[in-house]
Amino acid sequence: MNNATYSSLLELAAGLVILCAFVTLWRRSLSAIVRALSVQGVALGIVALVLGLHRHDAVLITVGGLVIAAKGAVIPTLLRRVLANDSRNRETSPLVNVPASLVGAGALTFLAYGATRSVVALVPTSAGRLIPLGLATLLIGFFSMVIRRKAASQIVGLLLVDNGIALVAFLATAGVPLLVELGASLDVLLVVVVLRVLAVQLSSKFAVLDLDQLQGLHD
Amino acid sequence: MNHVSVLISVLAGLTATVAGGALPIRSRVGVAVLLTWVSCSAALVAAVSVLRSGHAIVMSTSKILPLTGISIVLTRLGAVFVLAIVMVALASTLYWIGYASHGLSTRSASSALPLFVTSMILVPFAGGVATFLVLWELMALTSLVLVLTDQSRREAARSAAQWYAVMTHAGAAAILLALVLLSAHAGGQTFAQIELHARHLSGALRGTIFVLALLGFASKAGAVPLHVWLPKAHAEAPGPASALMSGAMVNLGIYGIILVGNVLLGGGPVWWWLLVSALGVLSALYGALYAATTSDLKRLLAYSTADNMGLVLIALGASGMFAASGSRTTAAIAMVAALLLMFNHSLFKGALFLAAGAVQMVTGTRDLDRLGGLLKRMPVTGVVFLIGALSVAALPPLNGFVGEWLLLQSLLHALPSTNTAVVITVAVAVAALALTGGLTVAAFVKAMGIGFLGRPRSEEASNALEVPATMQLGAGLLALSCLALGLVPMLILPSLELGARSAQHIGVSSPVHGWISLHLFGLRGVLAPSLLAGGLFVALMATVLARRVSHRRSRSWPALAPVEPWGSGRRTQTVRMQYTSTSFAEPLQRVFDDVIRPARDLNVSPAAESHYYVERIAYRTSSDDVIERVIYQPLIVAVRRWGRLARKLQNGSVHRYLAYGLLALVIVLVVLA
Repeated sequence: MNNATYSSLLELAAGLVILCAFVTLWRRSLSAIVRALSVQGVALGIVALVLGLHRHDAVLITVGGLVIAAKGAVIPTLLRRVLANDSRNRETSPLVNVPASLVGAGALTFLAYGATRSVVALVPTSAGRLIPLGLATLLIGFFSMVIRRKAASQIVGLLLVDNGIALVAFLATAGVPLLVELGASLDVLLVVVVLRVLAVQLSSKFAVLDLDQLQGLHD
Repeated sequence: MNHVSVLISVLAGLTATVAGGALPIRSRVGVAVLLTWVSCSAALVAAVSVLRSGHAIVMSTSKILPLTGISIVLTRLGAVFVLAIVMVALASTLYWIGYASHGLSTRSASSALPLFVTSMILVPFAGGVATFLVLWELMALTSLVLVLTDQSRREAARSAAQWYAVMTHAGAAAILLALVLLSAHAGGQTFAQIELHARHLSGALRGTIFVLALLGFASKAGAVPLHVWLPKAHAEAPGPASALMSGAMVNLGIYGIILVGNVLLGGGPVWWWLLVSALGVLSALYGALYAATTSDLKRLLAYSTADNMGLVLIALGASGMFAASGSRTTAAIAMVAALLLMFNHSLFKGALFLAAGAVQMVTGTRDLDRLGGLLKRMPVTGVVFLIGALSVAALPPLNGFVGEWLLLQSLLHALPSTNTAVVITVAVAVAALALTGGLTVAAFVKAMGIGFLGRPRSEEASNALEVPATMQLGAGLLALSCLALGLVPMLILPSLELGARSAQHIGVSSPVHGWISLHLFGLRGVLAPSLLAGGLFVALMATVLARRVSHRRSRSWPALAPVEPWGSGRRTQTVRMQYTSTSFAEPLQRVFDDVIRPARDLNVSPAAESHYYVERIAYRTSSDDVIERVIYQPLIVAVRRWGRLARKLQNGSVHRYLAYGLLALVIVLVVLA
């Protein structure tokens, strides 16, 4: 693969990651959000694959394959099961409405570009220029956790944060060690499982998956 | 050789801790005590050999603590403190064997007590800031566990433990700050490096470090106004633990002040030591006053600890002032006096707390108004308490007397200094000593007279039986050493002088000398404790004989009707006609009414038939700690208000918490960008 294809493939995949982050804020239907997340996971895996092919790094290619399997297939499937418990699977009333949240996400992306200037200067490669996208994905994920009410949206936000971190890790370093990547993925998987249990408990206790119900536990 | 004994001491202490936690209940205490004894004896061997040879033990390893490693240095000064701690530890662990059946044989207690003893013994061994702080914290935590072990008074113990935890950690924070500042500016964390460089620091920095360290260490020593935890924690801790805390742990507060003030910073200007003396005067007076008015036996002892530590601080401050104003002989004598007062306090306060623990174990109460007549029922414990009380009241022929004599000599012989503040402080200190002495005598006449003499005031007190032999032996050991050091102070004084010299670098050799009669170097004071004791004994015998003779002569007089003394002519006397602790302290309380401001409660219930006939009168006074009420309660209220404000931040909404996180992240990024 020549340099031009490499950098445009990389830009395309990374752009898809941030685009999916915006989609999760734009759509209200939870199943569409999960679909976007699944696409994002695949795009993230492609970033790792492209990098691995370019650097002839077998470990990175393996990681890419694993990321596609875990974030593109396993985790979305688990999330769909959570959604199956809740009949009203639409994010009906987020704390900030959709246009405003898109504007907010745009602002966060600017912030990400501003904040990573010095990091980008340190990694003067075509991969390094994409680092702000990873940070932006992270911030958008955090933002969506703050403004969404449903438990499932919270999980999605957390996964966005994780994907953002993974993207920065792929782009900024010469590949994360396999062990670290596996450990991080396992952590996320565990968090998803725990949140799923929490969601099931919530829906059986309150018949809805709104996190606002938890406020009643405050002493 | 010395290195081996240090290692044995550490290992035996740790094994005792593990054994206390792991062994079954029957063998637990025995094995733990045996191993603690091994640990104590090994430390004793090390300390004695350091005192003899003057070569400090120096060991270090980089394996255990990351970054700094452990460094162990035992100087002669540290050895003196090890000596005092080991004495109390040997006696209280022996006592613990008998006491254990009384709720102190739980796993937590059996492993915390040896660890507490070991960490206390090791604190003077610390040769670097990191080692010192680790051991210091270990000592605080294990003693905190011990305060909580008495299950029969859970509520009171919990509140006491809370006070203790807050005070000890606030103190530890101040110490941490002082030592970290010191090591940062001296460019190294071992005490040897700091000692080398600390002289060249600026005066303001040295002053800040000293004041911070003084605050931290004085709170451990129980100096007023940082004493509030003392009457709570020392009273609630079980017998042997309270003896260890009050007899040994408070010493380490004094050690810390000498370590930072004299050794690391190498002495300082007069105002440092004026501050120390002022703290001392305040503690001595306040502690003695509250000891005289409280009616809880162990609270009384704890307040008396504040009083005695006040005396040590006066001596320490005097020594520093004299050294700073150039009179080296008096400075050396005052330092020896400080160490002697500290050492004596360990012995007699250990004995007193062990005896008080025995009383509490047998009768289930510490309230003097419910005790009485215990001397007949618990003869050994009673005699131990008597010896301790005489010693704390500084009466000859006991060791407390020698210490206060030495302190007074150094104060009275202070050369007319050019510094007016020093002259005034010395005069005030002498006056305070006199008042404190009187109040202490009153407090212990009360404790002894109400608690052990007279007739029992409650069922429990009249059914009291003597405690097991190990407890008698443990407490008796300390009482006997009080007597021995009172008769022949030279048994310990040379060691203390060596310790004082290694702390001060003044270079006056043997400021106190003479076996039979103590002579002071360069001063005119002479004291012959054994001759004094002999004289007292002869006088006592003569009085008894004279009384016998006059008694026999009076028999030849016509027979009189036998009436009980102090009975106002009544034929029968009831228990309630005796003085109580409250009534004994009442005149004193009246004199110091403005200071103590006791809450008085007088309830007169008239008979149903007429108002002029009274059925019952209930009179109750309670004297809360005035410093606690005036300083600490408002502080607690303020902290609580602040906490309530902080709670407004958290309203239970997950989104709000997440928003805090995002906001923090964004702010950090904006600042960095």
